[in-house]
Amino acid sequence: MRMFSTFRAALLLSIAAALPAAAQTTITFASFGGAYQAAQRKALLDPIEKALNITIKEDTLTGIADVRAQVGAKAVKWDVADLGGVSCARGAAEGLFEPLDYSVIKTDGIDKAMASKDWIGVIYYSTVIAYNTQKYGNNGPQSWADFWDTKKFPGTRSLGRGAAETFEIALMADGVDPQKLYPLDVDRALKSLEKIKKNVVAWWASGAQSAQLLKDGEADMVAIWNGRAGAVIKDGAKATINYNQGIFNIDCLVIPKGAKNAALAQKVIAMMVSPELQANIPALIDYGPINSKAFDTGKIPEAAKASINSSPVNAAKQTNMNFDYWRENLNKLTERMDAFLQQ
Amino acid sequence: MTAEAVADRLNAAGIRADARREKSALAALTAPSFVILGLMLFIPVGWLFWLSFIEDGAFSLENYTRMVVEPAYRSIFLTTLELSVLVTVLSVLLGYPVAYMIAMLPPRAASITLTLVLVPFWTAILVRTYAWLVLLQRRGVVNSVLMSWGIIDEPLQLVHNFTGTAIGMLHIMIPFLVLPLYANMRAIDRDYVRAAASLGASPVTAFFKVYLPLSIPGLAAGTVMVFIICLGFYITPQFLGGGRVTTISMKIQQNVATYFNWGAASSLGVVLFLSTILIFWGFSRLFPLRRITEVGGS
Amino acid sequence: MTAGRALPITVRGLVRRYGKVAALDGVDLDVAQGEFLTLLGPSGSGKTTLLMIMAGFTRPDAGSVKFGNVEMVRTPPHKRNLGVVFQSYALFPHMDVAANVAFPLTLRGVGGAERERRVKQALEQVQLGALGGRRVDQLSGGQRQRVALARAIVFEPGILLMDEPLSALDKKLREQMQIELRHLHRSLGTTVIYVTHDQREALTLSDRIAVIDQGQIQQIDTPQRLYEEPASHFVADFIGDSTFVPVTVAGGVARWRDVPLRLPTAPRDGAYLLVLRPEKLVLGGAPDLNGIDAEVAEIVYQGDSVRVDVRLAGGDIVTLRELARAGRIAALPPPGSIVRLGFDPADTLLVPAP
Repeated sequence: MRMFSTFRAALLLSIAAALPAAAQTTITFASFGGAYQAAQRKALLDPIEKALNITIKEDTLTGIADVRAQVGAKAVKWDVADLGGVSCARGAAEGLFEPLDYSVIKTDGIDKAMASKDWIGVIYYSTVIAYNTQKYGNNGPQSWADFWDTKKFPGTRSLGRGAAETFEIALMADGVDPQKLYPLDVDRALKSLEKIKKNVVAWWASGAQSAQLLKDGEADMVAIWNGRAGAVIKDGAKATINYNQGIFNIDCLVIPKGAKNAALAQKVIAMMVSPELQANIPALIDYGPINSKAFDTGKIPEAAKASINSSPVNAAKQTNMNFDYWRENLNKLTERMDAFLQQ
Repeated sequence: MTAEAVADRLNAAGIRADARREKSALAALTAPSFVILGLMLFIPVGWLFWLSFIEDGAFSLENYTRMVVEPAYRSIFLTTLELSVLVTVLSVLLGYPVAYMIAMLPPRAASITLTLVLVPFWTAILVRTYAWLVLLQRRGVVNSVLMSWGIIDEPLQLVHNFTGTAIGMLHIMIPFLVLPLYANMRAIDRDYVRAAASLGASPVTAFFKVYLPLSIPGLAAGTVMVFIICLGFYITPQFLGGGRVTTISMKIQQNVATYFNWGAASSLGVVLFLSTILIFWGFSRLFPLRRITEVGGS
Repeated sequence: MTAGRALPITVRGLVRRYGKVAALDGVDLDVAQGEFLTLLGPSGSGKTTLLMIMAGFTRPDAGSVKFGNVEMVRTPPHKRNLGVVFQSYALFPHMDVAANVAFPLTLRGVGGAERERRVKQALEQVQLGALGGRRVDQLSGGQRQRVALARAIVFEPGILLMDEPLSALDKKLREQMQIELRHLHRSLGTTVIYVTHDQREALTLSDRIAVIDQGQIQQIDTPQRLYEEPASHFVADFIGDSTFVPVTVAGGVARWRDVPLRLPTAPRDGAYLLVLRPEKLVLGGAPDLNGIDAEVAEIVYQGDSVRVDVRLAGGDIVTLRELARAGRIAALPPPGSIVRLGFDPADTLLVPAP
């Protein structure tokens, strides 16, 4: 371990040395607040401040609309912003971001789909099957097709009420190859959802709600974010996660157009996605490193890897969400989903 | 008499100045709240109103045409209306007897009972909503008890639907009905009911012919309040509706996330706002507030 | 409109307690058919409780209330067929005047032209013929009073209960209404139970007055006998502006200090109070009058009369009243003068010392 620490320090120093000798500079990072941002502070920001000898101020945001407002008003307060995957795709299409400098940001170990011209992933979260082990023991549903199979697995279900993820799930349940989901066959997805509708005890609207449904046994199986499921399992809930056919989603980093410290922001982002700092994440919060090389740093114990959603063994079972597709179609499909739910 | 001719104007200028000063002092006292109201309410609301007509930087009615074209909106408006009417009616049916009972109690007992009615106000809505989940869900208290008594074999679907949403909202809304109604009832002189009885009215007749009409102002205030709060309800349907109940407020929130801009949400806000005003106007036509307050006042 | 079926009232053994306090402590009362009886007493005496029990709004703990021969004590108020006029009038604010008056008729199934006729007649009886369409809040206090009255008599109840009905009116209107109530009572012939704390009103209106204190009827008599022959210190004190000075009766002779007083009939030996009322006293002695020496303490001009306060030996202040006629005021002895206070032996009234 000690050797790795030395290695890490050397790496950080080398990045720091690449900087022009600047006085103590300040940049501003905006994210979603709460436990997530607190983990980002500890895992990423603190080491970066030390290595680059800068101060990183923090702010919170609610979504892309905040960034658009700042860029539109030419009053950009943030140098780095953390957004959801679809928001990043959307903002890029609107030209709200500075392009990322991939001569500074190293993408070794990062899935190409997760590093775009204007944005780059920072963490993975997955939508997975979680099921009640009191009900099914350890032989619960292994796929979305099982999730749909109410004969083999009688019991109540819960799915998200949003179109994104739920449509992909419905298609996989209907036998569509996870690698060939896009463009989504919406009619087929809705037809598939129709089959499971009467077994869905609740269409959850928030992560907290999905967790409650799983924890209280209200739903025997839930399509749920791995972080939420992990938290209730740690809390003692009789449930387990199956990563088969999970859907990868990300939070991503952008530099709002007109950011005052754009050059420095490129370096900060470079460090945030570096294997060394990425490896700090799993110990602090139930999200997976975006950089698979984080698993090679030695900082992540072997035993922990099985429960990290983006560890190589779990990543192989999952498929990526297509952010550009959802950027294009989220609103239309949401209305379709709403109409379906209202029937 | 020339000097004395001015005597009736003695101090007149000073007295007028005093009156002016009093008025401007009053204005100065109220000014901050007006300014805050203006800044915090009218400017943001006006801004959102403006945003609802903007799409990609240009004037557009897209945010409004969507509500007509997309089938989901119609049922969302209907659901919201249905839910609000149902909860309001049930609040009246359950809240009126409660208010009546409290108004009939001696003052000490009344204040204790009123406090009990208000206890839920001290708890966060989210907590109360979660408590309903604990009671009503499949493995919740109600179903467990009913099943252990052998009344049912399969758990009833009491929550994650319209029923559960209505129950949760009802619980939150009842104090809003009871409070104004109780205040009104407390002010109704007992002699009215006694007079009715002495004139030959049975308790039931006295109630419907005299007491109920006299309590209409409080009932109207409570009903309007409950109904309008219901129209804007968000947390309870979100948490207890199980995705099957979508209210306008939920859609507003969803549209922010779906359309990545405020316009799609604020157009719904505008429509909700206007329909609230319309309903309020219709209500005031049905129950002229001026006459109501006069009746209550005399 | 005549109430041919005016009813007598018989009350026996009425008890009502509030905790340990007895609001009514065994009340017996007989009211004759068509009588105007006033319940008079200070606040808290129990007079309103008695009325409320008769009306059926308050339950007694025990006792009997009969209207005619019918026991009513367990009958709910709406089946007692009583007219009740409240201190607050209790006119229904959501109905106009005519609807208020028609209310008891509607409940009794009287409709159409008959109802209209009787409402009109009742309103005319209280001199409000033209105001049927008014809203209640457009009426003056006196008019409300009359509407309340019209509403209470329109269904021709045999008994009319009135709870301080005039107390909210100003003095002039009150006196006018008193006269009208007398006339109305005469023309209707109804039995009336009237509650007031105003002794003058009671004296003006009543056939008989029941003075109530501490939950019991202290004395029940005609106004004149009540005033002229009060049975107790309380009654003498409550009715009229009286001053009391202690006297003793020994050997059939009453004395104030050493001064003997002539009486119509001497009571038994013992301690008594001499009741001195302003209108019974004159300044200056005369052989046929009882006389007491006193010092003029204060003279107060009051328009229609002059109040003269005199101080007796021993310090008691006694008030007498001189009508303000020409020359009388100037002739009054100035404060500090010693005068003789005269009063007729027939007006010399003793009540037992409490």
